[in-house]
Amino acid sequence: MLDKIVHAINEAMANETVFTIPIFGGIPVSQSCVVTWIIIAALVVISIIFTRNLKLVPGKRQLIIETCVGFLRNFFRDQIGERGMQYFPFLATMIIYIGFSNIIGLFGFIPPTKDLNVTAALALMSIVLVEIAGIRAKGVKGWLKSFAKPVAIIAPLNVMEIAIRPLSLCMRLFGNVLAAVIIMEMLKAVIPVGVPMVFSLYFDIFDGFIQAYVFVFLTSLYIDEAIEDED
Amino acid sequence: MTLVAIGAAIAVITGIGAGIGIGIATGKATEAIARQPEAKKDIRSSLLLGCALAEATAIYGLIVAILILFVL
Repeated sequence: MLDKIVHAINEAMANETVFTIPIFGGIPVSQSCVVTWIIIAALVVISIIFTRNLKLVPGKRQLIIETCVGFLRNFFRDQIGERGMQYFPFLATMIIYIGFSNIIGLFGFIPPTKDLNVTAALALMSIVLVEIAGIRAKGVKGWLKSFAKPVAIIAPLNVMEIAIRPLSLCMRLFGNVLAAVIIMEMLKAVIPVGVPMVFSLYFDIFDGFIQAYVFVFLTSLYIDEAIEDED
Repeated sequence: MTLVAIGAAIAVITGIGAGIGIGIATGKATEAIARQPEAKKDIRSSLLLGCALAEATAIYGLIVAILILFVL
């Protein structure tokens, strides 16, 4: 029993290389990358199917996608306001990708967000976007000045936040998904029938969507903070 | 190995903080909804954010424990 559990944890921790592209001395392609390709392909196909011949008076198919996009737009408009809506495409892409990759465990794939490299890349992307949004909204001078707010003495803390924010974003997503994968693997090793299904409902679906929501929610919060003008 | 396992176990104690935090937050949110049911939507979204932030500490503990077990 204990051996099984240890084996399950080891398997969940491992980040396997699926194959190696034989150019430039071999580029290793990891499992998370291949699953990401699958997600990209699925999302592209879904997008093409749903956005083919759009009409002014929506049919059933168009109604579904309009409801989804409208929901996302309203949600982000509440968070970042009308000024921040120029970053809506990025945030929406992010929430769809993270949401899909978190629940892909249902279809028997390994979630790519279980890989620390993936979440680190996502967090880096969002912090770069946050800082660029700040520079675009305030100009370089205003952006530099914003580090000394509200008082000049906490400037070091504000600079440190540039590193802490992506670190915590990345670790939160990675830790949650990894914990879910480990617990599911352990459950499957101990009780293979019936019980994992119930827990999968929580760990794969609920937790997956909550984490996608939290990731994007925090990113939009940071963007909102970066583009607000106080003076 | 025993000492390493004990170290990992201590790291997982961070879960206590997250549990207390989420418990208090949920209790207050329930109170707030009981008092003002029309503000349910706003309360829910800020509760989710707070829970996610509180939960992060437990997750850090988990990561530290896993790192201790598998790296040391």
